[in-house]
Amino acid sequence: MITFAIFFFFAAIAVIFAAVVVLHRNPVVGALSLVASFFALAVMYVLLEAPFLAALQVIVYAGAIMVLFLFVIMLLNLQHQEEPRTRPVQQFLGYTTSAAFGLALIYYLAKFGVTKLPEGPFVSDARTVGIRMFEAYIFPFEMVSILLLAAIVGALILSGRTGAIPPPTGENKL
Amino acid sequence: MIPTHWFLILSAILFALGVCGVLTRKNGITIFMCIELMVNAVNLTFVAYARQFHQIHGLLFVFFVMAIAAAEAAVGLAIFISLFHHRHTIDVDEANLMRW
Repeated sequence: MITFAIFFFFAAIAVIFAAVVVLHRNPVVGALSLVASFFALAVMYVLLEAPFLAALQVIVYAGAIMVLFLFVIMLLNLQHQEEPRTRPVQQFLGYTTSAAFGLALIYYLAKFGVTKLPEGPFVSDARTVGIRMFEAYIFPFEMVSILLLAAIVGALILSGRTGAIPPPTGENKL
Repeated sequence: MIPTHWFLILSAILFALGVCGVLTRKNGITIFMCIELMVNAVNLTFVAYARQFHQIHGLLFVFFVMAIAAAEAAVGLAIFISLFHHRHTIDVDEANLMRW
């Protein structure tokens, strides 16, 4: 019973902070809310008997990727910017389309969701995951390392300054 | 034990919120964060089905998705920095051309 309470508490946290990411106009608040949502998702992974992935979620997503987002937001000095409210018809269409899409997803997942869990514990600690990774997925693993190297080189080339561009002064226009 | 479809419904809600953000927001970095939100919703589905069918392959796919999300974040944010250097804005309405 305590498990259900934990599930609902952290599910509510994940959904509320995800809604803050979508609705709040300040990107710094959005990034910090996304970190909170990722922590709640790490709790979900623990409830799903995958503690290794919960640790990876905290280290890689909340620790590395979101720090990168915050660095870029602060580097670009965006924290005081407000989005102008334009195109109300398109905004309304976006909200209704995504709401209909979400309702359809929930309907079909609840309709075709399997309910019976198999017997026995699901062993998914770091040892088991590592053994399966290097048995069956060694080639994709190496490909991911090459992809990350390519991403590093691409990020360096893309973000390097080319030519003399005057730096923005004061409050930047969004 | 919590039934699998509750996790699936949570994942569907998070994915729909991410879709909503991508469709309605105009700040490029916020759109990017909503994409990360959708990636995480799909990860939750992978892990839920991995436990449902006692298949560890789902967890390994989540590992690869995390690595690719990291690469995507690095390249995407570098694109936004470059865009900001050229236009002094990251409003995606201002960046609707594929050249200069």
